[in-house]
Amino acid sequence: MKRTLPLLFLVCLGLITGCSKSDSSSSSPAAGEAITVALMPKSKGNAYFVSCREGSEAAAKDLGVELIFDGPTTPDPARQNEIIENWITLGVNVIAVACENRDGISTALRKARQKGIRVVTYDSDAAPDAREFFVNQATPEGIGYGLMDEAARLMGGEGEFAIITASLTAANMNEWQKHIEARRASKHPGLKMVALRPCDDLKDKAQAEATTLMSAHPNLKLIMAICSPAVPGAAEAVKQAGKAGKVQVIGLGLPSENKGYVKEGITQSVILWKTTDLGYLTVEAAVAVARSQLRPGATSFSSRRVGEVQVQGDQILLGKPFVFNKDNIEGFNF
Amino acid sequence: MNLPSPHPSQTRSGVRWYLRHETLLAVLVLVEILIFASLGRRFGTADNAANIVRHSVEIGLLALVMTPIILTGGIDLSVGSVLGLCAVLFGKLWRDAGFPPWLAGVATIGIGSLCGAFNALLIARFRLPPLIVTLGTFSLFRGLAEAVTQGVDAFTNFPESFLFLGGGQLAGLPTQAWILVIAAVGLWITVHRMTFGRSLRTIGFSPEGARFAGLPVERRLVTCYVLAGAVAGVAALTYTARFGTAKADAGMGYELFAITGVVLGGTRILGGVGTIHGTLLGVAAVAILANGLTRVPSLMNIAGELSGMLTGIVLVLALAAGLVPSMIAARRPAPRDSLSTRNSTTTPSA
Repeated sequence: MKRTLPLLFLVCLGLITGCSKSDSSSSSPAAGEAITVALMPKSKGNAYFVSCREGSEAAAKDLGVELIFDGPTTPDPARQNEIIENWITLGVNVIAVACENRDGISTALRKARQKGIRVVTYDSDAAPDAREFFVNQATPEGIGYGLMDEAARLMGGEGEFAIITASLTAANMNEWQKHIEARRASKHPGLKMVALRPCDDLKDKAQAEATTLMSAHPNLKLIMAICSPAVPGAAEAVKQAGKAGKVQVIGLGLPSENKGYVKEGITQSVILWKTTDLGYLTVEAAVAVARSQLRPGATSFSSRRVGEVQVQGDQILLGKPFVFNKDNIEGFNF
Repeated sequence: MNLPSPHPSQTRSGVRWYLRHETLLAVLVLVEILIFASLGRRFGTADNAANIVRHSVEIGLLALVMTPIILTGGIDLSVGSVLGLCAVLFGKLWRDAGFPPWLAGVATIGIGSLCGAFNALLIARFRLPPLIVTLGTFSLFRGLAEAVTQGVDAFTNFPESFLFLGGGQLAGLPTQAWILVIAAVGLWITVHRMTFGRSLRTIGFSPEGARFAGLPVERRLVTCYVLAGAVAGVAALTYTARFGTAKADAGMGYELFAITGVVLGGTRILGGVGTIHGTLLGVAAVAILANGLTRVPSLMNIAGELSGMLTGIVLVLALAAGLVPSMIAARRPAPRDSLSTRNSTTTPSA
């Protein structure tokens, strides 16, 4: 009997490997043929990606394609790779992924492309040679201009404001700040930036910085928080100082984290993109790539929901960021 | 009753072969394969089989070396963290110290062994409970990995020759599968065909008894834990080669997957009873389940959650089913040695 067990095991292995003919060819389908889109978030439970998923499911329904939505339960780059490798052997037509680890996932994506699977990225990009297009939710320019214009509107075109950032060395923050300054100089010269403070991506520290800013600059009219923990942090400082309405707060962050402050009138606006639109556009772009309707060199792409969007090089731009305020924030759950 | 050493074949001689845990588990694996082959999309392809194996090698390796440890009544919760520490130190040695990959690899296995030796020192020398020791080193080794990289540094751009270990094929199997095969055969012989393996069971049944019987209990324990560390180092290499990147979070949670495989494979968590092939089947059952669910069209979108749940259910059922044979054996009118059989399967402290 002892001999039969390893034998059984071998039989099992044989069954896995041999029980069906290998038909792992996956070529790009012609228009009209059934398409399977595999969409991966950084992590499945994240409210941000849950709302992306809503948009992507709507798009899949509108376009009549099959959508597979799967990803790690926590942001786990290794698990992302495993799922991609699974999709390769499953034979999906196109993969759309928000990358947790750029270098790690690019290897798996290149492998997918070698097997004839089309690849796009969204939200956060892979290496350029590992995908065909990146659906970019916001350019640094769009974010910088959006924040500055909103600040100018709230301040009435003049006065002092301060910025709270994550760290003075973070590349993306510095890029945004550059565009904020460019917009201020060209369009809103009446405004004056009096301070730029780092908060190390911590809410507590942002709160402390905001408190210091308010006492150091009594004429401060507005605090602009450009990393997401700093928006509620600054709002809490304003609330505790009893300066609601006198010092306004805007920033780049999730509507859900700021809903309370926005409703209380402490935070005026939260700026971000509509994540459902991001999901929708990603699936549309993926399908268009799979059907070879969207090719390199395109300069625009027409979306059913978002309208005509710009394509710059290999990046599809979602467009201007969206301003969440007292009037509309209730309807957003991410 | 006399000490020590119930030989595995004797332990369960009262249990008909078709009621043995491993047989039932093999049937379960077979059923899984048949179900997914008929319901799943491209489940039975060679590519997918290679995928399943590729993704299971690290957990398989950890489960294999966990088996002797659990046989002795111990446990090692630190293997996943050792994997993480080894992965980043391998990256560090290769990128920053300029070691060629093979040399960095050898050093990495050495580092893994040292981690295992540290566990062994605390467990065998100071007689501290393995659960507590390895719970501590679970945090310690992961913390070290994070300290080395400050949590953000990642090692990448490894040479193709090294990545072959994780992504290539050798003689028809994924390269790293051969490591698993070698480890499995080696451990199977050690545990089931050598006195060494028998002594591990004896320690699991009764460490004091084993000492009285003159077995070098401490030395055996040291061997088991050092081996676990060394093999975790090997797993760090296959993991890094498969993923192409070494980061401090490598192998997070793998210790629990490995223990799941071992326990599902029929090894008694308190020690004394268990087999290497059972462990392999246990790991295979979980891996095939997780993969198969992602292939069934109606389940694809909830496959991750579902496989966690089903693994749990299978585990509980398997443990419950493990009691059935001994119950049946107990009712059967005794052949020759029913008394000793009953005692050794149900109360192995005999």
